[in-house]
Amino acid sequence: MIWMSWRQFRPQAITAGAILVAVAIVLGITGAGLISDYNGAGLSSCHLSCGQDATNFQNSLEGSVYLVVFFAGIGVMYATPALIGLFWGAPLIARELETGTYRLAWNQSVSRGRWVLAKLGLGGLASVAVAGLLSLMVTWWASPISSVLIYSKSTSAVSSRLTPIMFAARGVAPLGYAAFAFALGVTLGMLLRRTLPAMALTLVLFAAAQLVMPAFVRPHLASPQHATAAYDPNRGGEMIISNGGRMVVVESASIPGAWILSDTTITPAGKVFTGPATSACAGASINSCDSWLAGRHLRQYVTYQPASRFWPLQWTELGIYLAVSAGLGGVCAWQIRRKRA
Amino acid sequence: MLWVTWRQFRPQAVVAAAALAAVAVTLAVTGPHLAALYQGSGLGGCTADCGSRVASFVSAVRGTPSEDIFYGGVLLVYALPALIGLFWGAPLITREIESGTFRLAWNQSVTRRRWVAAKLGLVGLAAMLTAGLLSLMVTWWASPLYQAAQQASQNSLSINRLSPPLFDATGIVPVGYAAAAFALGVMVGLLVRRTIVAMAITLAVFAAIQVLWPAFVRPHLLPPAHTVQHLDALTWNGVGDVHRGHLILQPGTLTGFSPGTWITGSQAVTVSGQPAVMSPPACESAMQFVACLDQHGIRMAVTYQPASRYWELQWLEAGLFLVLAGGLGGASYWRVRRLA
Repeated sequence: MIWMSWRQFRPQAITAGAILVAVAIVLGITGAGLISDYNGAGLSSCHLSCGQDATNFQNSLEGSVYLVVFFAGIGVMYATPALIGLFWGAPLIARELETGTYRLAWNQSVSRGRWVLAKLGLGGLASVAVAGLLSLMVTWWASPISSVLIYSKSTSAVSSRLTPIMFAARGVAPLGYAAFAFALGVTLGMLLRRTLPAMALTLVLFAAAQLVMPAFVRPHLASPQHATAAYDPNRGGEMIISNGGRMVVVESASIPGAWILSDTTITPAGKVFTGPATSACAGASINSCDSWLAGRHLRQYVTYQPASRFWPLQWTELGIYLAVSAGLGGVCAWQIRRKRA
Repeated sequence: MLWVTWRQFRPQAVVAAAALAAVAVTLAVTGPHLAALYQGSGLGGCTADCGSRVASFVSAVRGTPSEDIFYGGVLLVYALPALIGLFWGAPLITREIESGTFRLAWNQSVTRRRWVAAKLGLVGLAAMLTAGLLSLMVTWWASPLYQAAQQASQNSLSINRLSPPLFDATGIVPVGYAAAAFALGVMVGLLVRRTIVAMAITLAVFAAIQVLWPAFVRPHLLPPAHTVQHLDALTWNGVGDVHRGHLILQPGTLTGFSPGTWITGSQAVTVSGQPAVMSPPACESAMQFVACLDQHGIRMAVTYQPASRYWELQWLEAGLFLVLAGGLGGASYWRVRRLA
């Protein structure tokens, strides 16, 4: 059965192998250049006060091919599990059901349960291996950039590897995504019995899961930490005053490497500060508004996941996704054995 | 023939309509908030010196769901042509060939070519319509951000509708992409004759086009403008170094251009305009390396497309891709006669 599964899986395996080789070549060539730029900026030998070198290095990346490869790497890590679910998972059983070849496959000496487990096992292992190799290559390539991101004062969507965009493209979590997408594809293919609708639905459900996870589940996988600091209008925050005098005061928190979950400015009573804007602020100078705000004794309240939580969250998420994949695989095997058709 | 095509296309049409409706509802609900933020930061009537207001506005958007919706919308407009090529284009004729139902379809009173023409026409038009509607909705939703980007020379979200990531996701270019991806899927399917393989090849080819086109073709669609800048006029925050006599000069962010300019290339040049390969020996150990280079006449030659070229490039690129789609469709029309 293993030989049979391999024989049927061979074209996909060759395609995946070719893509992995191509990605490895591109990342290898550009990675060498990135490392030499990193050393050229003096970052390999600085130990303290690397801030200026880090800034120079980051700025030299602007508009260069390295930025393109950086975002392409993130794109590849996002696309791979989805493509695996689409092209490896959904057709696995659906094609056999659609074309009628299941009649031949299920009337051999190998039982149905063994047949589906062999196919799931080989495909699942291959998916995890492909995602793992890609994650390894992309994380290796991006390590010079990741090591200077802690010097970045801003909290953009890519400023730390804990932010949702980066988290899904690094470490071991993509292995879980690939296994889940594969198992989801196989299950939907078995339920819908037609390849194209199974592919479409796999894509939709997988995308939904990938959106729900960082928004609602991951922030609570480990209990977030809180920090309070006095709000200082001179530190360069921004404020918006809307028509009814309602104020929104914003100041980005700077906690290197952390994932900021919420950042609000609160009054001494603990409520979110909403104004209303007095004459000191509406239409007056920045200075008078700042001194009025300073008199409000506002505080900045930040909820965040610290940088040290990266690996615990990664392993937890991998565990969750692998458990769901195993569950889906079990459902598949159980249903196929029961099928009368 | 139109009824048959519609009947076969119906499930895809329903899915597309439902998806568009869902996107429309999401954008309609969140759009007014973004517009209110824009007005609230005083950008509505601002014509000069708007930099700090733009910074306020963008900061108020960063880290909020509005930023995620913006990126999500852009990603959706990017992904739609590929999805259309995959799910509407590749299976269109290939499924009939693979499952053998072409024997029924091609033995009716309608000729093969008319059959292909009807399918290509109806589904192709539907593809363009879907992409156009989606692009319209997303561009409408994000218009406060695009307007703010025009009002200051830089913004912390790096929004520039002329530069590659965003150009493909705004305006009318997605319509051209959708048509081309659809026609590509049909053509590849006719050549390969197996649905899933055709889908994979269509995805690979179209993704390659989407990556390579903005890098190598689009900068030259219209002749770019050139300028030569002093090294001290730029906020010099790049890498300036000497390695065995060779000059290494990589600029960081180039300043001095009006908002929305797309910088396609920059190179260090000597006074006479030749590329500056070697560093002047006197500067190799100078304290102020970049100032020394400037004194020796090293300049930065920049090629760019000005912001005013946005609509010209949009129409040109959409037109080129529509011509490509027409060519591929015509090839499919001609080829189907030679099958089976």
